[in-house]
Amino acid sequence: MNFAFTEEQEFFKKIVTDTVDRMVVPKAREIDEKDEFPWELWKDFTKLGYLGLRYPEEIGGMNADPVTAMIFYEQIARGSVGFAQSVIMNILMGTNFVYRFGSDAIKERCLYPAMRGEKVTTMCFTEDQSGSDLSATRTTAVKDGNEWIINGTKMWITNGPVADFATVLATTDLSLGAKGLNFFLVEKGTPGFSPGQVLDKLGCRGTVTGELVFDNVRIPEENLLGSEINKGIEYLGEILDEVRVMTGAMAMGIAQAAYDEGLEYARKRIAFGKPIGSYQLIRAKFADMATEMEASRLLIYSAAWKMKEKLPSRIEAAMAKMFATETCCKVVDEVTRIWGANAFANEYNPARHFRDARFLLYGGGTHEILKDFMGRLLIGKA
Amino acid sequence: MNIIVLVKQVPDPEALVEIAASGKDLNIEPKFAINLFDEFALEEALRLKEKHGGSVKAIGLGGPKAIEALRTAIAMGADEAVLIEDESFAARDGYDTAFVLSRALQKEAFDIILSGRQAIDRDRAEVPQMVAQFLGLPHVGVIVKLDVADGKATAESALEGVAEVIEVGLPAIFTAQKGLNEPRVPLITGVMKAMKVQIPRVTLTDLGVSKDAGQKTSVLRYLPPKKRPAVQFIEGEPAQAAREIVRILADVERAI
Repeated sequence: MNFAFTEEQEFFKKIVTDTVDRMVVPKAREIDEKDEFPWELWKDFTKLGYLGLRYPEEIGGMNADPVTAMIFYEQIARGSVGFAQSVIMNILMGTNFVYRFGSDAIKERCLYPAMRGEKVTTMCFTEDQSGSDLSATRTTAVKDGNEWIINGTKMWITNGPVADFATVLATTDLSLGAKGLNFFLVEKGTPGFSPGQVLDKLGCRGTVTGELVFDNVRIPEENLLGSEINKGIEYLGEILDEVRVMTGAMAMGIAQAAYDEGLEYARKRIAFGKPIGSYQLIRAKFADMATEMEASRLLIYSAAWKMKEKLPSRIEAAMAKMFATETCCKVVDEVTRIWGANAFANEYNPARHFRDARFLLYGGGTHEILKDFMGRLLIGKA
Repeated sequence: MNIIVLVKQVPDPEALVEIAASGKDLNIEPKFAINLFDEFALEEALRLKEKHGGSVKAIGLGGPKAIEALRTAIAMGADEAVLIEDESFAARDGYDTAFVLSRALQKEAFDIILSGRQAIDRDRAEVPQMVAQFLGLPHVGVIVKLDVADGKATAESALEGVAEVIEVGLPAIFTAQKGLNEPRVPLITGVMKAMKVQIPRVTLTDLGVSKDAGQKTSVLRYLPPKKRPAVQFIEGEPAQAAREIVRILADVERAI
């Protein structure tokens, strides 16, 4: 048994950490305050080539294994989770099915520019009445000759308002539930496809999130992303673990950013003539935070390792997502206590971390759903 | 143009440093970084290569962990790197370090050697000058500009209130000061190359140097820094407070 990163992974972590410290950390507050897509940082950062992280070297990617990818997700979220969400959308969910099922022409038009950061992408699951319950998806895809016609409205779409193309979940038959679901590629400029309301969010600001409207959107037959019809839910299952562990890794990024702020404050803030880090109750907080963060990382990286080794990881991925996110919420809370009233001021970072952490409770599956899901797998059909 | 960059791995500026109970050692949190000034040296070497062609080679001296700093050099764009591997150099002096580096450099063909003006851990700023001495080469220190043409270099060195422009024949050694350039962030292609590359390691024996080749100084003990005096708050209206500050600076502290 070996829990260590390889020398190469250690190096990768170091480089990504330094890159995030130099490019993302200094912009994090501004991103949060403006709550606009950070185009300038996007252009500078995506030039470095990280958006091809998961894809083969032959097409300009890095062919990173899941462990290496998690290192990246954790670090970029440590810098700014608002920015990280946009970046990770291009790396993972927004391009995965285009890479797997897109024709050469689609890849030329969408995938490769998205890997270079020239196009922004998104994936659309959620609707006003369906999130975790994907079988309730009401966006429809109807075949008409050699075209598909998409109708419906998607909510909570990361990058939605600025996306150049979207992977859209839609049903071919409302009566089939989850078994009627498919992914379709819809590109900006297609008549009937338009952004709707942009959400004003508590945290993860800078990721523009909003509504996407599909009003009789006609797309060619080849835009069905799948080798067979009505297999969408199976295809989704193939990246679900990765998405969940990635969410856990982002949670650890936020937790680490908050923890570091807490550490610096505990060493410098004087109360009753001594740094507050010299008091037992403050020390206990660090012991608890560090223990739970270590446990979270063990779950995240062992689940990622299982994915790399092609071992079953469904329960482990859900555990990692849930535990790391709950830990993150605890850590950001504790850090606001360590900082005292200063944490309540938006001019300091702990307030931002406190707000950002909340989103990960819902993204990647609510913990209520995940617990039910895990319990069902653990107990079996009782 | 062949350029060699001397690269040191140093404790991360944020690493915790404590004096060991013996008073003779430092306990340093094992977090490392490439020496800040060496990054300027590397960047300058890469820019010279981009302009004039040739190659950039990074040389490091230290324990096995120092390979990380050399990988960073490769990630930034250096063509090759070599580690002179010897853990004991964390605690050895500048003379010894310069002696070993100069032995390694004698085996290399180069037009320019670049390094940082100092390592940010011990801040001695002595190794490149001694390397120059051992190799019988000219040294231009603390440069903020470097141009090369016709076998000669013109360097600008920042002095107190004035910049000195120096011409020197090549080969020569230059040390980089902040302001020379803005080091690049590595591209993923460089990072991938750096992750895969096998960086050769040589030992002191390979260089024909004995372990006790030349240490000239030794550390007797470490002392904690003096505690800063408490902050003094000056009350009153701004104009009155300013007068009080001037009085303290002039009459009490005699600082002005």
